[in-house]
Amino acid sequence: MSLGYAIRRLLGAIPLLLGISVILFVIIQLAPGGPLDIYAENPSVSKEALAQIAARYGLDQPVPVQYFLWLKAILVGDWGYSIRTGRPVLDEIVLRLGPTLQLGGLAMVISLLIAVPVGIISAARRGSKLDGTVTVLSFAGISTPVFWLALLLQLLFSVQLGWLPSAGYQSIGDGSFVDRLRHIIMPTAVLSLATVASWSRFIRSGMIDVLNQDYIRTAYAKGRSEKAVLFVHALRNAMIPAVTVIAVDFVTIISGAVITETVFAWPGIGRLFMESMDGRDYPMLMGLMMMGSLAIVVANIVADLCYAALDPRIRYD
Amino acid sequence: MNVKLSRRVLLQGILATTTALATMRAFPVMAQQAGGTLTVGLTYELDTMNTYSTGFLADAQHTVIEGLIAPDKDARYVPVLAKEVPTLDNGGIVLSEDRSKMTITYKLQENVKWHDGAPFTSADVKFTWEAVKDPAFIAESKDGTQDIDSIDLPDDYTVVCNYNTVKPNFASTLFTFGIMPKHLLEGTDLNTSSYNETPVGTGPFKVAEFVRGQYVVLDKNTDYWQTAESGDALPYIDRLVFRIVTDSNTLITQLQSGELDMAVSVPYGRASQLEGVEGLEIVVGPQLSWGHLDFNFRNPILADGTVRKAVAHAINRETLIRVQGGFPTPIKSLVLPIFDLYDDATPEYAYDPAAANAMLDDAGYTKGGDGIREKDGDRLSFAFVVQSGRADDENVQQVIIAQLKEIGIEATADNKTGVAYREARYSGGYDLIYGRWITSADPVYSIFYGTEGENNGQGYSNPELDEVFARLENTLDQDVRKAAASEMQRIIAEDLPAIALTGGVSVIAKPVELKNFVPNPTNMTNFVDTKEWYLES
Repeated sequence: MSLGYAIRRLLGAIPLLLGISVILFVIIQLAPGGPLDIYAENPSVSKEALAQIAARYGLDQPVPVQYFLWLKAILVGDWGYSIRTGRPVLDEIVLRLGPTLQLGGLAMVISLLIAVPVGIISAARRGSKLDGTVTVLSFAGISTPVFWLALLLQLLFSVQLGWLPSAGYQSIGDGSFVDRLRHIIMPTAVLSLATVASWSRFIRSGMIDVLNQDYIRTAYAKGRSEKAVLFVHALRNAMIPAVTVIAVDFVTIISGAVITETVFAWPGIGRLFMESMDGRDYPMLMGLMMMGSLAIVVANIVADLCYAALDPRIRYD
Repeated sequence: MNVKLSRRVLLQGILATTTALATMRAFPVMAQQAGGTLTVGLTYELDTMNTYSTGFLADAQHTVIEGLIAPDKDARYVPVLAKEVPTLDNGGIVLSEDRSKMTITYKLQENVKWHDGAPFTSADVKFTWEAVKDPAFIAESKDGTQDIDSIDLPDDYTVVCNYNTVKPNFASTLFTFGIMPKHLLEGTDLNTSSYNETPVGTGPFKVAEFVRGQYVVLDKNTDYWQTAESGDALPYIDRLVFRIVTDSNTLITQLQSGELDMAVSVPYGRASQLEGVEGLEIVVGPQLSWGHLDFNFRNPILADGTVRKAVAHAINRETLIRVQGGFPTPIKSLVLPIFDLYDDATPEYAYDPAAANAMLDDAGYTKGGDGIREKDGDRLSFAFVVQSGRADDENVQQVIIAQLKEIGIEATADNKTGVAYREARYSGGYDLIYGRWITSADPVYSIFYGTEGENNGQGYSNPELDEVFARLENTLDQDVRKAAASEMQRIIAEDLPAIALTGGVSVIAKPVELKNFVPNPTNMTNFVDTKEWYLES
């Protein structure tokens, strides 16, 4: 039932993605400059040479024609070639997706493991010293600039203590599990901080709403333990609003955390996006942004399916 | 942490290097050690390992791929794969009867092998010309290819290039960037070839591994064709690693933690953070770059020479240098003093705000209530563009804005990034623009200030100057060139399409134990000659 629902939703998203692709194509073209500007900086590239390059990439065509050429190609699975590197767009994305998924996935798991218990406890002990401390820390976490925290961690753990590598994906010629783990610790910590802080707030407020409901009082009256009330009766309902936020954040994380990836020299999607943006690499940008849009659509469907799992009253037929 | 890097410390750095070099020359038998790994930070995303298609200066590439000739530390050309640099005197360059064309003959080294063992011959040189010239190949630079009509190969080690013009700067084009292997690349599509990841060259290092977004590892070429004077095999260093670290904070951190050994473009403002880091020293090398303030002549107020001259009088170069960590040097000519063509007699409008104010008063620009001058409704208020995100440039901009305010001129920062900045620069989307050009060992100046110059976004046109450029850029006669260059420097300094402000230097962080390192000021990068570098344990 829910599988059929998911498929219907995905099919329904096709017109949406088409619309998004038109808007993205136009927005990318509206940005000043273009892919050929990297040649324009070199005074020795003649106008004829530029025209030849433009023709090779179809850049000499009117924008609507360019769009339909792109669309025609993408419908048969051809994502085109990066203008900067001359390599297939899909190859470049796949190459960078691995590191981003590792970093983002680990940050997601750690954020959930910390945010859920913290949110529950501070809701259950609302107004206590513990809750106050968590609240202050959360706001500090949400407001800490990523690059600043990254710099502090690097100075402490790499320069002062020498415990961890300050940046990079792996040591050259190593790449063992332990080596990669050492490299991923600091970026994960930085990436997790803001999500832990904001997610625990959402779970806390969701829990507070639920804890005031009659059925919770009934559960207590029946003599159930606090643990059972919190985790069995309250948490499922409290998670529903949080799921929306987590789904949206998930897309942000896998679209590449640009700052974290840049500061930690992490070879992921975020940095690929930045360098493609700098070079106005149109085919690469379209590929990355369509991938991001698709992720948003999928994350929304997953979030809706999660609602149903969490709340039996919600049914999709 | 935040100790100011004193000039003395810098000087010691420079002295230490020079002394080391002097010692080396005096005792050539002093033991040079083989072995070791040198890890260098690259501050840009390496796009391709092909010198002809990369959008950046080819630091890593030049350790792998060699050209026929290369510029040395004084920006003078020395032979590499060619036996000598062709000149009129040695018969390498022959002019046609009417002096409108030239023929250049290169004699090649005969014992050179590609990294795969195949012999390097004249056919490779001709192939390189054909490959780069091919319209289908998307190159960052095709400079020089159109000037050659044909190439004759009398034998395996002689290349005769028939030029359709006289090109005094031929050395800073085509064959200097590198030679490509014909036996591996003929018939392949260079745009998508694996050559762009793992190029095969003749250089002292071979590409072992290139991981996009992370690093490139270069291993010693154990079969390198050159040996040291002492008979030692070259290169000395076993392995060079270039790590991509685009964030300048992280670059500094990695130098401090020892994860990086070396960085060749330390931002001026950051150099002080590296003082006192154990095992690291700062070397300040010359760089063929100049900072300049350009005017847009499409703005009628700026087309008036009085305002341009007043601006020139208002700028204090000493302050500009101070905000750039004290590193750059003041200049008055666009031709840097390192070049033979530099003329020290070039006039300049010295720092003199009183004179600037008087000039504007005389021209009828009077100060309004806000201290900004105007005449007949024309307010001296200008949009001022620099490339945003470049801390050194933005600091210079703030100083200039303050200095112009002193003479009643308002400049408002209108900074742009990346492509938008270049767009503004080429189409004149500014009133004032500050930037830097980094050039080859023999720059062509007409591209900046000639009426048809491809980099002339200012709308500047001076027929007298165009005529001087024509004389300067179409002859090999050094006397004619020198006279024309002097005239060019005088006209530009007097007419002021641009104000030459400061000459750049490159701030290099290197390990103390790295010896024989000599900074190279040209766009062929510091890595153009790595074969003699060694690490002292």
